[in-house]
Amino acid sequence: MSQAGNEPILEIESIAFAYRDKPVLRDINLDLAPGRILALLGPNGAGKSTLIRCICGRLEPDAGQVLVVGKDPLRNAAARAATGLVPQQIALYPHLTVRENLATFARLAGIDKKAVGSAVAETIKVCDLDAVAARPAGRLSGGWQRRVNIGCAMSHSPRLLILDEPTVGIDPPAREAIESLLTRLAGNGLAVLMTSHDLAQLETLADSVAFLSEGGIAATGTPAGLIREFFGARRECRVSLADSPGPELAARLGELGLASSDRDALHWTGLIDEQPAWSLHSQLSVDAPVTELRVRRPGLDSLWARLYGRHPEPVA
Amino acid sequence: MIATVARVMWLALLRDRGALMLAFVLPPLMFLVFAEVFSGAGESDLEMRVLVLDEAGTPLTGRIARAIGELDGIVPIPGKSESGPLGVADLEALVRQGQADAGVWLRAQPDANLDADPPLVVIGDASRALAAAVVTGRVQRVLQSEFPTLGVARAASLVDALAGPYTDQQQEALDLALSELDAETLEQEGGDTSQDGLVAQRLLGGGREIDDGVSYYAGAVAILFLLFAAMQGAISLIDERNSGIVDRLVAGPGGYTVVVVGKGLFLTLQGLVQATLIFTVAWWLYGIDWFGHFGPWLVTALLAAAVAAWLGLLLASLCSSRQQAQTASAFVVLILSAIGGSMMPRFLMPGWLRELGWFTPNAWVIESWHGIFWRGDGPAELATAWSVLLATALAAMLISIWLAHRLAREK
Repeated sequence: MSQAGNEPILEIESIAFAYRDKPVLRDINLDLAPGRILALLGPNGAGKSTLIRCICGRLEPDAGQVLVVGKDPLRNAAARAATGLVPQQIALYPHLTVRENLATFARLAGIDKKAVGSAVAETIKVCDLDAVAARPAGRLSGGWQRRVNIGCAMSHSPRLLILDEPTVGIDPPAREAIESLLTRLAGNGLAVLMTSHDLAQLETLADSVAFLSEGGIAATGTPAGLIREFFGARRECRVSLADSPGPELAARLGELGLASSDRDALHWTGLIDEQPAWSLHSQLSVDAPVTELRVRRPGLDSLWARLYGRHPEPVA
Repeated sequence: MIATVARVMWLALLRDRGALMLAFVLPPLMFLVFAEVFSGAGESDLEMRVLVLDEAGTPLTGRIARAIGELDGIVPIPGKSESGPLGVADLEALVRQGQADAGVWLRAQPDANLDADPPLVVIGDASRALAAAVVTGRVQRVLQSEFPTLGVARAASLVDALAGPYTDQQQEALDLALSELDAETLEQEGGDTSQDGLVAQRLLGGGREIDDGVSYYAGAVAILFLLFAAMQGAISLIDERNSGIVDRLVAGPGGYTVVVVGKGLFLTLQGLVQATLIFTVAWWLYGIDWFGHFGPWLVTALLAAAVAAWLGLLLASLCSSRQQAQTASAFVVLILSAIGGSMMPRFLMPGWLRELGWFTPNAWVIESWHGIFWRGDGPAELATAWSVLLATALAAMLISIWLAHRLAREK
């Protein structure tokens, strides 16, 4: 986890945006300081992409304002120069080498021709791309392409890095490498704004999260703080049975605060007060056909289910 | 199973409007263009713009001029301008400039004098020799059918010169026969028979060493491939949009406009190289005087390349997918090239198609290069073509940049 900075790099003040009279963003307020990682969360259509477009200066909010390094990104090139965007797609020129891609995007981001060489060298070093610098981007593995994708947004030394699903479609080791890279970048003072469906990853990676729902912020804070706020000291419990429970066992499970959603009542879930699993098991009848009894600390996925009434999509 | 695959193909075609157009609209359109050209190419309804200049001004030449002007397939061009009646030099200029396919110069009253120069001269351009030949044939045919006495009288003079003078009795019979012939027209047969000594054909520019069609086809092929290559190159714009590169660039200070302008610059230079290669071959193998006209050639080449580049980028800006752009570009390039003269000379086309051709860059580029190498046109003669090409390139560029700006700032 990275350290906090001082003046916010990104300030979003009460912005609202409507598309064809349909509200897409409503009264959004967010700040992001240097060295912090903020994750935007929410199902499709929650307003994440629209918010990112406002931050990048592609959309003008109907109300409120977005400031990047204190300037309006819609009208001020300096604000846009301070922003690096990593799209969800692999936004690289596949026939160019990694080094050529970095140099191309550095130039297109306004880096002086003489300074491109050193900017590319610095990016290769910071993003640890030396091993693939001379290889065509199109021939790299998905994980390396994701890293180069981030590197190309870093080649002009932005102060705000925006990433849209940076770990989608890659294997766990590559995901860990991206996580490590983002932590390192934030440690260097970069403000990082990202969207992701990998909620488990965000619990350790993000300093703060903002859940968007129907264009507004449904909850925002640190992952641990939000979990504490919504779940207190309670634990998430899941009991699986081999056979449908009799009336006595079903009543006992209900008294513990568990509920079943399946027709045969084989799976029971709910929040319970903190207690060890053996204690819980002992509260059920000895001959209860329990095949699995799981007690865990609620995570961001639990919060997602609470806020949106359904579980998040599994991570690709 | 086979039917299922066929059904999938059919649905894919049905839901892809571009492919549908390419499959079912382009073929009949292309056929229409070719049919309009070649259905008339060997027959008398091939339309020729002809200036008939009656310099002799006798009643007979007046009748001949009217008869030629009234022929089917001859579109007469007025023999007067604001500055007064046209002379033979004006006629030659109009033919050289391509404003007339051929000219008929009635320079003297046709008579039986074999020693005099032919009284009728069909003046054509060597680069469009076919047009001159067609007009010559029609003039000969109208003389034979409408004015049969002219040919017979000259033949009789030839016999007189070769075999000695006619006797009085023979001369009397000949005069009688000629007067009878004068009263009725001959049957239409053997219309292509030459009327020796009556009609001469003169081709302008034919004395040059290069093959007559080279300068035309060098330009025609060059603009065709400039358009194809530019359209293909411009499709990268769509790839960048779909791959997220545009999103990345738009978020930065440079924006997307620089990318579009950069592509326009590259495609223009690419087109210039293509044109250079084609004209290098034309110079090397066919002896076209490239270096003698290098300045005007370069201006036309730059404008042609710029038009192709920016039309390609405009098309790519308007399309949402690579597939759509490929279909649209094939459609546009083939139609522009067919109408604009890249596939066959425009003088073979009917009038309405020729006029339509002026709405294509191909026609202006081809005319411009052809004028430079064939007629030796300079900036003054090329000003109109250059202006049209420049305006087209600028308009396509401004619209493309505006579309890029609109994409970047979604207002």
